Amino acid sequence: MKWLDDFFEQSSRRAAQRVSRRSALAGIGRLLVGVAFTLPVLPFDRVARLAEAAEGKRKKEPDESQCEYWRYCALDGFLCSCCGGSLSSCPPGTEASKVAWIGTCRNPKDGKDYLVSYNDCCGKTSCGRCLCNFNLGERPAYRMGLHNDINWCMANTSTMFHCTTAVLIGLAEKQS
Amino acid sequence: MTRFIRALGLVSAACLASAASGEPRYETLSVAKLPEPTPHRIYLSDVSINHIVDGRLHVIDGDALKYLGVVSLGYTGNAALSVDRRELYVATTYYSRLSRGERSDVVDIHDPQTLEHKGEIAIPSRHAQALPYKGLTRPSSDGRWLFVQNATPASSVTVVDLKARKFAAEIPTPGCWIVIPSQTAGNRFSTLCGDGTLQSIVLNDSGGFRSRARSARFFDPDEDPVFVQTDNIGDRHYFVSYKGLLHTADLSGDEPRLEAPWALVAGEDGRKAWRPSGYQLVAIHRKTGRLFVSFHAGGKEGSHKDPAKEIWVFDLEKKKRVARLPGHNAIAIAVSQDDQPKLFAIDGLKMGLAVFDAGAKPRFLKRMEQIGESATLMELH
Repeated sequence: MKWLDDFFEQSSRRAAQRVSRRSALAGIGRLLVGVAFTLPVLPFDRVARLAEAAEGKRKKEPDESQCEYWRYCALDGFLCSCCGGSLSSCPPGTEASKVAWIGTCRNPKDGKDYLVSYNDCCGKTSCGRCLCNFNLGERPAYRMGLHNDINWCMANTSTMFHCTTAVLIGLAEKQS
Repeated sequence: MTRFIRALGLVSAACLASAASGEPRYETLSVAKLPEPTPHRIYLSDVSINHIVDGRLHVIDGDALKYLGVVSLGYTGNAALSVDRRELYVATTYYSRLSRGERSDVVDIHDPQTLEHKGEIAIPSRHAQALPYKGLTRPSSDGRWLFVQNATPASSVTVVDLKARKFAAEIPTPGCWIVIPSQTAGNRFSTLCGDGTLQSIVLNDSGGFRSRARSARFFDPDEDPVFVQTDNIGDRHYFVSYKGLLHTADLSGDEPRLEAPWALVAGEDGRKAWRPSGYQLVAIHRKTGRLFVSFHAGGKEGSHKDPAKEIWVFDLEKKKRVARLPGHNAIAIAVSQDDQPKLFAIDGLKMGLAVFDAGAKPRFLKRMEQIGESATLMELH
């Protein structure tokens, strides 16, 4: 059970970084749920497109193969960075998930909260490397856009779950 | 292969030698039979994350702490026993080429006594490919229907006709999640919704949608969401919130009715931020009205799945905590409903099973190690 071992070692290390993210989280929750009731699929599609648009803009961090890397604050899965992919690319021969959920993580370098799209990579069986489990801002699946105990490859032709990315898609809006 | 044949040769030689010396007898290979079921037989769902296409359900004798056998779950299969305990249903996904090809979702039917596969029912290829949670697959209280949670990610519920052994209907449940079958009416189930309400859905005679009714808003999904794993006494259903409130819903009528919540955490425990956590974190012994909830200290945003530091025992009628048990890193708990109840807890760090006496004076009894790989949900016979 490496995933939970890792989780508990690292969640204590990250505890210091938990400041007031709640306002940002609440904002996202509202954003997603506001539309989810009428058109449940759309917000996720939109997020996936935003993720694609954000490609190439990020700076690579040196420790992206470790669970405690800041963007993984709500990631539950195998790190694609350990599986032949990276923070924002899927391993060769897999397919990017069409839908994803969004976490909010604080970048320790600038102290700002960022939106992170946890797209899965699909079409091959489990990678089996670097399993991580953090749950900052995670909510039960009645808030589907904030849930990580489900397979985000669910809308792909092959829904087989391989690993999870952490794509930076924007700055979290501050609530006053 | 050569090594295998050589090994066979050695075995035969050893058998002949021992037969000559009058020791062991020749044997005939057979298939083992399970002992008679008891209320302490455990069906443990394991997503087997490292080889997720090949999930397992482990069957364990909770008294002898003996591993009895396995049921294949396929890819993200979600299991539930029938009301009469004669069948085990697994809503799951198969691909024609393991990880590619044609997707087919089915409800596999297994015999919980022989662990043999008995048949399957085709369902729409939308079943929720989720970590095993109670309420992703549930039979109606009269055994007539099987409810399967779907996600595309739009939420809906597949209704399977267990009598006719076929798919009956699909009911949209936008913004809501988990199936909580009514214990009063077989044609009704409830679900938790992202606007902080419960919704009850009534089926028509063919399993399709007839009507729905919403409760008043009773929880705040941002500030203090409720866990979707619940337990019940009759049609009184109990929901624990992230911060430790206990909500009670009466689901005996077509419209869900909520009672005033009460706090499971008070005083010094509140200052130390004890909070409920885990995957299957609530269990009730119905006859005695004892509620078991797994807890951790130092709770904060994001700690809601932490393994338990302690398991707390409450008297539901007196609304009072009556015992604290060691947590054994529990991420899932279940209690048997007999007169010598046992509480079972899955150790999420070591993948062990802890057993407690859940009677008048609850106490830890014993452990079994190496029960699975990434197991998170128990059902008892």
